[in-house]
Amino acid sequence: MIRLQGVSKVFGDGPGRVAALSDISFEVAKGEFVVLTGGSGAGKTTLLRMLYREQLPTEGDVEVAGFDVVNLSRAEVPRLRRALGIVFQDAKLLAGHTVFENVAFVLRVIGTPRREITPRAFQALKAVGLSSRAQAYPHQLSQGEAQRASLARAIAKSPVLLLADEPTGSLDEDMAAEILDVVKDIWTRGTTVLFATHQTRLVAELRRRTLRIQGGRLLKDEPATPAGGRPPGRG
Amino acid sequence: MLGYLVGEALRDLRRAGRVGVSAILLIALSLLVLGGFGLLSLNLGRAIAQWRERVRVVAYLRQEPAGPAEVDALLRKVEALGGVQGLRYVSRQEALDRLKQTLGAQAEVADQLPRNPLPASVEVTPDAAAATPEGAQELALRLGSLPEVEEVQGGAPGAEGLARVQRLFTWIGLGVGAVLALAATLTVTTATTLVLHLRRDEMEIMRLCGATEAVIRLPRVVQGLCQGLLAAIVALAALEVLYAVVAPRIEPLLPVTLGIGRAVFLSIPEMLGLMAAGAALGALGGVLATRHSHP
Repeated sequence: MIRLQGVSKVFGDGPGRVAALSDISFEVAKGEFVVLTGGSGAGKTTLLRMLYREQLPTEGDVEVAGFDVVNLSRAEVPRLRRALGIVFQDAKLLAGHTVFENVAFVLRVIGTPRREITPRAFQALKAVGLSSRAQAYPHQLSQGEAQRASLARAIAKSPVLLLADEPTGSLDEDMAAEILDVVKDIWTRGTTVLFATHQTRLVAELRRRTLRIQGGRLLKDEPATPAGGRPPGRG
Repeated sequence: MLGYLVGEALRDLRRAGRVGVSAILLIALSLLVLGGFGLLSLNLGRAIAQWRERVRVVAYLRQEPAGPAEVDALLRKVEALGGVQGLRYVSRQEALDRLKQTLGAQAEVADQLPRNPLPASVEVTPDAAAATPEGAQELALRLGSLPEVEEVQGGAPGAEGLARVQRLFTWIGLGVGAVLALAATLTVTTATTLVLHLRRDEMEIMRLCGATEAVIRLPRVVQGLCQGLLAAIVALAALEVLYAVVAPRIEPLLPVTLGIGRAVFLSIPEMLGLMAAGAALGALGGVLATRHSHP
């Protein structure tokens, strides 16, 4: 699902040159739940931005969902992104649109047939437990609900890979646990997940395969502990 | 998807508010100037065409031919010069009768002349190829070379003067219209940029979820296009009102000044052309605004 080979990213040049990522290589298989962790400025966000082609590596190869990301033409970028669900620390919901409209909006702009939009949007809201708040506006939601709405928007288009960039970063423990449960549920339905977080307690709780990066380098690739292994029925 | 594009474009038009309205008014003003000068040019063109149709070259004869046989022989000679569509022999008596008719109430002045001072002449209507200033001049030179001819007069100097005025109007119209069109395009660009700013979050989400650039940008181009079309409708309505007010007042003067019976309005293809120009101006503003919108 994901393959990075010798990936480096350098910002700027001369004395202001900053190496954000250095020689990162790893693979994520289809159906895996992988945690990407590291402190602030470790390079997690830069790495994720490369996966959805918001940034290009200075060196190395990136393959995501069968797309050669580095050599992808600009016209093909939307095809890659349609295969992905992306969530951020900030839910990025559109103010002035209801929760339902936020989810339906994404389906509409990627050209989903009109008759499929409403059922798929409601299905996604149901999957994150937000059906009852479909007509609420973003300012009427708690942070946890906003993040669940963001997850519903990400999964409405049935992505093969969910990229989560600190989705629990600004939430209290209860809300973070709530979001984590939703993400795990999405994973059990067959979506590969790459979950970036700096919250060590969360990493310990998850007990999934963990990629630890620090200073732009991959320090450790720790396998899942038995209790956190693969979901039932997976190979 | 078409419904989405148009719906989004109209929503953006409402969001652009006063800047959007300014853009529509500026495009309408530029189209009004273009259309107004076009209307003037159109009617001057009609006058010129009619004046050109009336081009006559008159060859005054040294002596009146002695009889019908000599008149026929002379007319055949003139016809053989080429560039002739029609010929008419005017005897000295006919020339005097015409003078009297022109003098009207003062016709008796002509009767008091000791003798008829007017020469016989041949009035020549040039064919289409010779009905230009250059063609008429060449025909006059050929007529002047005939021994029977004493003097040649004619041509269409008025038509050429009018043609110069028409060209001047066309250039002024294009010049002023172009300046206004530039201002209008920049205003559309500003209105569209404002909408892009208001919708930057939405566009970011669209890009991240995999919407194509066409889906992201086209509503902005359609927004500009709608502004241009609305402006063209406003400009055409204003032109129609101006025409309805001005035309009845100047029409009595047209036969004696320009030689045309009435002023005409733009034809349907010309109106469609103006609408297309408005749409193109608006769309151009939209394209310019979205060209640099990619983060």
